[in-house]
Amino acid sequence: MTPLLELRGIDKSFGPVQVLHDVGLSAYAGEVTALVGDNGAGKSTLVKCVGGIYPVDAGQLLFDGREVHVHSPRDAGELGIEIVYQDLALCDNLDIVQNMFLGRERKNGLLLDEDSMEELAERTLSELSVRTVKSIRQQVSSLSGGQRQTVAIAKAVLWNSKVVILDEPTAALGVAQTAQVLELVRRLADTGLAVVLISHNMNDVFAVSDRIAALYLGRMAAQVRTADVTHAQVVELITSGRSGDLGLKNGVTP
Amino acid sequence: MRAGPSQEDIRRHNLGALLRHVHLGGPISRAELTSRMGLNRSTIMALTSDLTAAGLVREELPRETGRAGRPSLVVRPESARVYVFAFDVGPDRLAAARVGLGGLILDRREAVRERGAFELAELTAVLAGFARQMRRKAAADAVCVGAAAAVSGGVRKDDGVVRFGPNLKAEEVPFGEELARRLGLGLPVSVGNDANLGALAEHSRGVGAAVRDLVYLHGDVGIGGGIISGGHLIGGHEGYGGEVGHMVVNPGGRACGCGSHGCLEAEVGERALLESAGRYGGHQGRDSVRAVVEAADRGDIVAQEALKRVGDWLGLGVANLVNIFNPEMVIFGGMLRDIYLGAAAQVRSRLALHAMAPQRERLRLRTSSLGDAATLVGAAELAFANVLSDPLEVLARAHA
Repeated sequence: MTPLLELRGIDKSFGPVQVLHDVGLSAYAGEVTALVGDNGAGKSTLVKCVGGIYPVDAGQLLFDGREVHVHSPRDAGELGIEIVYQDLALCDNLDIVQNMFLGRERKNGLLLDEDSMEELAERTLSELSVRTVKSIRQQVSSLSGGQRQTVAIAKAVLWNSKVVILDEPTAALGVAQTAQVLELVRRLADTGLAVVLISHNMNDVFAVSDRIAALYLGRMAAQVRTADVTHAQVVELITSGRSGDLGLKNGVTP
Repeated sequence: MRAGPSQEDIRRHNLGALLRHVHLGGPISRAELTSRMGLNRSTIMALTSDLTAAGLVREELPRETGRAGRPSLVVRPESARVYVFAFDVGPDRLAAARVGLGGLILDRREAVRERGAFELAELTAVLAGFARQMRRKAAADAVCVGAAAAVSGGVRKDDGVVRFGPNLKAEEVPFGEELARRLGLGLPVSVGNDANLGALAEHSRGVGAAVRDLVYLHGDVGIGGGIISGGHLIGGHEGYGGEVGHMVVNPGGRACGCGSHGCLEAEVGERALLESAGRYGGHQGRDSVRAVVEAADRGDIVAQEALKRVGDWLGLGVANLVNIFNPEMVIFGGMLRDIYLGAAAQVRSRLALHAMAPQRERLRLRTSSLGDAATLVGAAELAFANVLSDPLEVLARAHA
């Protein structure tokens, strides 16, 4: 199976500090790939490289098997890569539909095509079995944390995206809302998207992921199938870069 | 030797098969039915017109096809006209629903059940009362074509007697017969184990639709299970199959309500979780389980340990089931949804350690998509079974 998104040999430095060393990562359609690692391991930097926010120093990005170049978030969006950042980037003073189409509004002549945007927003939310939102004309400021996360994810899915990258989607949520977001993440993959989930919470990772990629000090320690590893092994990979036969050898990716 | 099927048998089979497509798949065009059922167009037309005449389906022009040519008629289930009653008897709740053909829940009633002795008369009176209320609100020309109940216990498939139900304190209770008498609809009430019916529900309308091999685990006070293998529910010789909650995972472990020790239910059930969390004796029920998961999330170490312990045992149980049945999917329903999401690291670590590689490689673990309605939806499917196997006959009887 060809990965839908594949990174090879990514290097990235900020001035004298090299943050990513020869990092590889594969994400497959229909699967959730969890990207784990300690604070400062390079998870967010890696994602920003994929999203076209940071240029890479070296390495390749392959989309559906062919090499592509992403120089800006717009390039990423055109390929079908959507990233939901931790801060969600929603506008509090706008309603759900306005947020979902922000910057990419549909027009009917000179006017906004409110009807078709509303219909598409409604359909996207119902396809994701989102039942927690009462009205799609509700202002985002009135939503709970879980609902905001849901809207941000639905916004990413709306654009026929093929890869969705979620940065800590459950970080600030309570148990009930976390459960709903996890189920939503799982459904995204089950509808055929490639999902990359960044998380610190091992339960969240084990609950929904098919693969786990562990970063350690800017290097990819291991990419494993979730079905083949234990909690203890993943914690070891995160904290020391290796676990038994898995992981880095002498500090480098074997 | 029995002769081959008669023309009438074939017609009945085809009518049932067509109705099943519409019931489970929703509105569908005649053209689509033709290709899915592998019958020719005129046969499909004859079958749909029979079902239409009987008032089970109706045909409509599609709203828009976006294609040239005469559009194929869309066949829809008559959800408002043809319905069943579905009941659910759990340790903490009594529920009833009026469910239309096509699986639409038209109306629903629920009451809290106090944990205590199984009072057959009182309980069936409540459920029959719900049914009467819902029937009054139904359209005048609506027909009830079946009734079924999900019960948390072991049910004999022949006569709907609840043989054992430690969490309901039920033993040898003629539940189906009594509920049918109270309902007075002239219809028998089929009875099934709640987790078996939950499995059926997830298999026909939930996260496991299109999955032919699945294990559904239902957590309430105890742990129930339903196993679907090759598209069929494993009921066993007399209907008691799938009692995965009484699979022994820890011989010499905690005492179980069934009289044994170390059953999965004894190690994973509500009591085990609450006791390990030092909360037994206070509140019970689903909310008390959620409270432990929430406390663990907030950093309560005792609750975290309790959840880990329960997750460990659950993972061990699932590993055994995965080794034996090689399911494509394991579904966590009832309170096990909360337990799984809160202790997935333990559950999957156990799977990695104890399930064999070929069985676990492509296994998918999912939470129930029907949630609290799973058992009720399953009961409705059981109630629809007769009309789906012989649509015209059942309808004729209902009208008589």
